[in-house]
Amino acid sequence: MNTDVEDLLREGMERFTADLRAPAGMARRAVRRRRRRLALRSGAAVTAALTAGAVVLAATGVPGTGHDGIDTTAYVVTRVDGALSVAGPGQIAQMTVTTTRSAALPGGTAVTTTAEEWSYGSQWRSVTYSPAGHPVYDEGFNPASAYTLVSYQTRTWARQSGLGRPAAAVSLVPGPFRCGPVVAALPLLFQPGLPAFQPRVPDIGFPASSGPATVATAVRNAIACGTLAVAGRQRVDGMEAIELTSRPDSPISETIWVSPGTYLPVRVVVRFPPGLPGGQQTVNITWLPPTAQNLAQLTVPIPAGFRQVPLAQALRPILQQILGGLLPRFPTGPPLGPFGLGPKSTGW
Amino acid sequence: MAAGRSAAELERFLAERADHLLATAVLLAGSRDAGEDLLQTAVERLLRRWRRFDGDPEGYLRRTLCNLAIDGRRRAGRWRQKEGLLRAGLRQTPDPAGDVDLRDALVRLLVQLPVRQRAVLVLRYWEQLTDAETAAVLGCPEGTVKSAGSRGLTRLRELADDWNDTTAMSGRNGQRS
Repeated sequence: MNTDVEDLLREGMERFTADLRAPAGMARRAVRRRRRRLALRSGAAVTAALTAGAVVLAATGVPGTGHDGIDTTAYVVTRVDGALSVAGPGQIAQMTVTTTRSAALPGGTAVTTTAEEWSYGSQWRSVTYSPAGHPVYDEGFNPASAYTLVSYQTRTWARQSGLGRPAAAVSLVPGPFRCGPVVAALPLLFQPGLPAFQPRVPDIGFPASSGPATVATAVRNAIACGTLAVAGRQRVDGMEAIELTSRPDSPISETIWVSPGTYLPVRVVVRFPPGLPGGQQTVNITWLPPTAQNLAQLTVPIPAGFRQVPLAQALRPILQQILGGLLPRFPTGPPLGPFGLGPKSTGW
Repeated sequence: MAAGRSAAELERFLAERADHLLATAVLLAGSRDAGEDLLQTAVERLLRRWRRFDGDPEGYLRRTLCNLAIDGRRRAGRWRQKEGLLRAGLRQTPDPAGDVDLRDALVRLLVQLPVRQRAVLVLRYWEQLTDAETAAVLGCPEGTVKSAGSRGLTRLRELADDWNDTTAMSGRNGQRS
């Protein structure tokens, strides 16, 4: 008997594996299983129905699993919508908004401002900084304390109830206007306030929009319009992200990057066409759990020594700056009220 | 979007090399089902980085298979069940035909070895890698590969000797009866 174990082992391995054939479609199966796992992971907070849907989708291998394994728009949009439907009411969206307005006239200078914003249910807060980085004003809405505005330039603050309405009570863009040409020209995320829900600010004449929706609702509406398509994947702040961008026939370039793990938006960029004026707005979004510490960010602090004044008095100098182009906001046009005075202009 | 490899390329690569890699996986895992699971998991890991993958996919999959097999604590329970079945199979009376059965038995005995010894023997005698290449795949010093391989072969020789003794005894008993 041959006692050379090494040769016998080698021959035994060949015999043992001689009839093995790898199953076909391992790569496709890997794509489907990965998607299913990601869907389940992102759906840790998602409903069982969504998870079941993901499994069904994965099993049938139709949406989102193109032959090349590239994310399809329908699949991504479905996932984003599902993730936002959960994150919208459950998590705080913390945003850094950078707005750059290109020079209105040749030889002029571009202006860039930033704002820190938080959105949680019907609550929101926005702190707008000057191009030099100093806080200009801090505004926020809370169903309990109403609208609060702090002007750092005049060292005044104002609070008024009766302005604004809970986000859940209104849709961002009602009815037939939702996806019409106006929306195509003005991305939903940066839609100005809703005329139908704008009471007038006493003594100032400008309407007050209502902080009509959470950022989650805004993005859901934006992607539901069908003007965005998956353009591929990119790295955003070192993390891989799926890029959804405006279709070529859209008059304004809008791009949303979503996390492939959670399908929540992590960055939004809108480029406005040149003239009157053109510019760009970039929103970086972080989704935070509603801890006490994070919820505290939604409260507008009143700095010591600031004087309470009527809302109109606190608003006027801010509006003058906006109208004078010192604080860029989009889209162009007259300010629409205290909600969304800043770069976001949507009242998220 | 950065240009990268498509999933279709991965399919083509697997069409060429998946059979061989499945064999490696089966030898590492001990059964066809477990081997397919192992390879499928490795393919998924490759897929994660496929678009920007810039290397030898077969080497990556081989290394992943070994890592998955070694880092298989979660599968330990199932593995022990399989091991029991394999041991049960070895308790059957061997066919005195000799080498053929011994070859099969050695493979079944192989899966009873500690997983690192098993991986070394699979890489050395199935993948026909050198000690240095095996060490690179397993991410350990070459000396570790040599000692693990030596211990594994020693264990197989002991088992083979037992097998030979059992076979001889069975043969004698057969002659008596």
